[in-house]
Amino acid sequence: MKVLRILFFLYLVSIARSEEPKHPDRAGIAGSSDFFTDEVWVKIGASKCIKCHKAGGDAEDSKFVLWGSTRDGFLAHNRAAFTKLATARKDGQSRMLLKVVGKLDHGGEDVLKPGSTRYRILEEFVRRANGGVPGKLDTAANREPFFDGVTMLDDRRLLRRLTLSLAARLPTPEENSAVEGGAIGALGRILDKLMTEEAFYDRLAEGFNDIFLTPGIDDVAENVLSYEHFDKTRHWYQNRDFSHIKDDQKRKEAGWELARHYRESMKREPMELVKNIVRNGRPFTEIITADYIMVSPYTARGYGIFEANKKRFKNIDNRFEYVPVKLKALTGRSEKTNQESATGFYPHAGILTTFQYLKRYPTTETNRNRLRVRMYYQHFLGIDIMQLAPRVNDAAAISAKYEIPTMQAANCVICHKSMDPVAGLFQDYYALDGKGVHKLRKEGWFKDMFSPGHEGEALPEDERWRALQWLGERTVKDPRFAVAMVEHVWYILTGRKALRPPEDIDAPFYAARQRSYSEQRGEIECIARRFAAAGFNLKNVFKELAVSKFYRADGLATAAVNPARMAELDDLGLVRLLAPEQLERKLKAIFGREWGRLDDQFKILYGGIDTKEVTERIANPSGAMGAIQRMMANEIACRNVVLDFSRKPAERRLFPGIESDEKDEGQIRIALAHLHEHILGHADQTEVDRSYALFDGIIREAKELGKFEPVEIYSCRVAREIPVNDPHYTLRAWRAVVTYLLRQHDFLYE
Amino acid sequence: MRRDFLKLCGLAGLGVASPIGFPTPARAATREPEAYDGPYYAVFNAAGGWDTTYLMDPKGVNETNRLYKQGDILTEGNINFAPNAAHIDKAKKGMSNESFFKRYASDLLVLNGLDYSVNNHSPCSRYMATGKLDSLAYPTFAALVAACRGPECPLAFLTFGNYSATGNIVPMARVPYLPTLGQIANADCVGGNVSSPYHENFVSDRIEAALKGQTDARITQARLPRVERSQSMLYSAQLSAKALQRVTPFIPKDTPKERLAQQAEIALASFKAGVCVSANLSIGQFDSHANNDRDQMNLIPELLAGVDHTLRRAEELGIRDKLVIVMQSEMARTPNYNKGNGKDHWSIGSTMFLGPGIGGNRVVGKTDDGQFLIPIDAKTLALEEDTEKGLRVRPEHIHQALREFAGITGHPFSEKFPFVIPEAERLAGLFG
Repeated sequence: MKVLRILFFLYLVSIARSEEPKHPDRAGIAGSSDFFTDEVWVKIGASKCIKCHKAGGDAEDSKFVLWGSTRDGFLAHNRAAFTKLATARKDGQSRMLLKVVGKLDHGGEDVLKPGSTRYRILEEFVRRANGGVPGKLDTAANREPFFDGVTMLDDRRLLRRLTLSLAARLPTPEENSAVEGGAIGALGRILDKLMTEEAFYDRLAEGFNDIFLTPGIDDVAENVLSYEHFDKTRHWYQNRDFSHIKDDQKRKEAGWELARHYRESMKREPMELVKNIVRNGRPFTEIITADYIMVSPYTARGYGIFEANKKRFKNIDNRFEYVPVKLKALTGRSEKTNQESATGFYPHAGILTTFQYLKRYPTTETNRNRLRVRMYYQHFLGIDIMQLAPRVNDAAAISAKYEIPTMQAANCVICHKSMDPVAGLFQDYYALDGKGVHKLRKEGWFKDMFSPGHEGEALPEDERWRALQWLGERTVKDPRFAVAMVEHVWYILTGRKALRPPEDIDAPFYAARQRSYSEQRGEIECIARRFAAAGFNLKNVFKELAVSKFYRADGLATAAVNPARMAELDDLGLVRLLAPEQLERKLKAIFGREWGRLDDQFKILYGGIDTKEVTERIANPSGAMGAIQRMMANEIACRNVVLDFSRKPAERRLFPGIESDEKDEGQIRIALAHLHEHILGHADQTEVDRSYALFDGIIREAKELGKFEPVEIYSCRVAREIPVNDPHYTLRAWRAVVTYLLRQHDFLYE
Repeated sequence: MRRDFLKLCGLAGLGVASPIGFPTPARAATREPEAYDGPYYAVFNAAGGWDTTYLMDPKGVNETNRLYKQGDILTEGNINFAPNAAHIDKAKKGMSNESFFKRYASDLLVLNGLDYSVNNHSPCSRYMATGKLDSLAYPTFAALVAACRGPECPLAFLTFGNYSATGNIVPMARVPYLPTLGQIANADCVGGNVSSPYHENFVSDRIEAALKGQTDARITQARLPRVERSQSMLYSAQLSAKALQRVTPFIPKDTPKERLAQQAEIALASFKAGVCVSANLSIGQFDSHANNDRDQMNLIPELLAGVDHTLRRAEELGIRDKLVIVMQSEMARTPNYNKGNGKDHWSIGSTMFLGPGIGGNRVVGKTDDGQFLIPIDAKTLALEEDTEKGLRVRPEHIHQALREFAGITGHPFSEKFPFVIPEAERLAGLFG
């Protein structure tokens, strides 16, 4: 009988394999289509069952263990597992259908309601698995190629997007020529070079800062270093001698400035680690495994290691010069607070053990490191464990029924069995009330929590001193790590998170949204595999995503009238409102100088973040942001038009081939085309015509009015005291055109 | 304010790109929007989870709390509430329950026994704000009503924190300081000085006409939904920005020190100027896992003082009769203390409502002595003693009722984010 069962299982597997998608490198399910994949797996298996029925899950000991989508052959395995269970019966009824409604002692209790859409899908699957013919639930999903009818950005415009986004500059003429020539690999070579520029590393740090938010600590920056371990060094700046400054006020200000610089330097350390890894082509796994931190001459003093390292700095007065350093195990004010270490060194585990990260996400007596666990899963495995929680019939009753719900109630155990062991790995970083980072719990780890470990593997006692290193080593082997890193780069490039699977299968356009997710997910997982296979070089991810269709999608060849198709395409296309910092950099690249008002007073109003209270950027402009755009356009045009004309033609950015009093329409059109190209990145004829109509119309109307000031307004002069003649209103017309261009979507969005 | 559907789609931008198939507007709007005249919606969030037993759902039994006994529970009209005047720090300018209920009980609708279904902050915040637990796409009620009622307003949906998803149907606006609104109110003038415009009127008109011409031309082009949406929103944002000039007269000379009062002043000035429909106001730190009583006695009075400030200032500005207030939190606290004198998360809580059209002096729903909910009859709102039969009121029921109350259930944006609630479960007459 047992042999028969095995043969039957192998038969099921062989059937399953025969239905596998024909794209073996596609880890997601995009491209594959059948009832199991589209209905059973996507709507039930991936969203419900696998939460417990997986290695390390609450139901890992059951016979029904599923594989996640990052594992090779997951569909075949899961199909076979589902089919096997679907054919099993109990008293003439399907075991599977009994289990999902909470019968047969199902550990997860009732996960589906009889009669619900999910239940009916499973019913249909059971029927088919037992030889029934397809019923009404057989879906005819839209299977036209996903990018059918979607137009892509050409190489030249893509190049401009990338240089502005990643290097804060316009493409050079040579770069433009290279991509226009269509040379194979030209864009890749340009990107290789671009990703060696300092501006790229600044952008990289800015992008990962949006993700890790490490500067947003609830304290002054030097207090990431505890009194217990750094009491003699962390406030070194307070002892700096400024007695050579005689003026009291200036002496005070010098001290304040030193403190400010030290704090800024301290806040930047974690992102300097990111830069160091990428700059030196090191595997990006170091983000959670690096056995060093980055310190500056300023922060080295805080750690008390300046003297030992000062020769490694090129300039000890440069607060933003960083070098890698391995700290010694922490020494406390008393022996009791010394850090245990088998090597004598601090057990660095990349950013995870930096003082800034641990201080940014502190523990409390009640969350018991669970905030850190949430951030660990989100930052390093791409899972937001708090985003979607399963509804329970009466959560309050469950809380009251069990003595330790997180270890006993199935609804709680689903998450806590994964979370709480990881919380235990942070057990030696249990400083409360923001008093530093490192602290052992004298009484040991909590008994009413699952014991320290990771995904079902217990932490060996002799590894406890380096528990987070132990975690890091396991994390980078998890396929989800590579996926999470690709998702981070996706976020940096697009300003929005990768799509998540839709949950409500009864919602309008569920199938369309699921397809959008699957297609994007497939691309991300493919890139993640190559990223891992090539040694985790993060630059490869930037290069791959930069040329992916998801990044290049730009328009539609014909209007999509089918609502379901529109829903599929809903997230497609970059279309990113430039963040305050990006807009300032773009202005500098185009005009040679930033506006200077978006980095401070208008930063939050224009949708920026402060990494502490405000941590998500605004994607759609409000009227307040529209007002700032108007203000910016007016001021930038005012500041630059007269200035540019005042320069020698060869030195001009905006008007290199024309003088302000030029009347020839052909010359004016050429100048307008240049302006469009320079400010917007393209010079579509229709749009140049529109600009010409604006320019010409203003001059004509001014002439018709017959009376206007013959000089440019006071505020828009280069030197305020010297009037700028504008007898034919042409300067003001050019200024109006620049204002008009700066208010456009093609300028304000990526 | 009369609404034209095409205008709405064109200004909100998002509707025209929606997969539910709005008709495409033939031309973009050209003039700044009319002032929005109410009703206005202010949603107050006690972020972190308030202790309802110290406010509108008092319990004096089973050591649910330590600051009063059953016999100490007070009543104002039909509303029971916890006494706390003796326990709050007078120096902190908070408002006691005694003062709050005395002043507002006749206008207040209290709903006790709200089932959040889960008890973690993120999902609970999302659920309470949107009425939808299993979706990240749904807009908050404040965002939805702003999109439906006044999408053309430059600050249609103001938010000061807490869960603020917009469903991509309206932009959110964050205004951290009121004075910054004054700085951008006259964006087309040098230094905001109306006597120093950057461009003469005829030039400005031509710039606007060119932008409109470009927008009109794009309406006829095939575009990706995101492109279409963002172009419409950008045009709308810049056009509606002119209306910010209306806020200037209502910016108070002095900025209050209290957190909620600061937020309220920004919202009220924007309401009064007709540039805002809804505001999401929030104060945090209610998550009192340690020292529950100390924290709740600081924060509940602060919350109530913020609501009181808002209502009094609304009265002064002459908009009190158009202001709807929702007071909510993402969860409640356990009916017992933990070892740190704190209270942990509890999934049965309460909300309060106040404003025009809301029948006050009423309590709907109840919790028992163990702080478990007693179901109600959805039609009569009476308690249903048979727990198997009655309705467990959940956020989607509240949100469905709020949508009906605001008159937006049939709006295309509401239909884009539907609730599937059987007719028998709809809370008829919740708001009186």
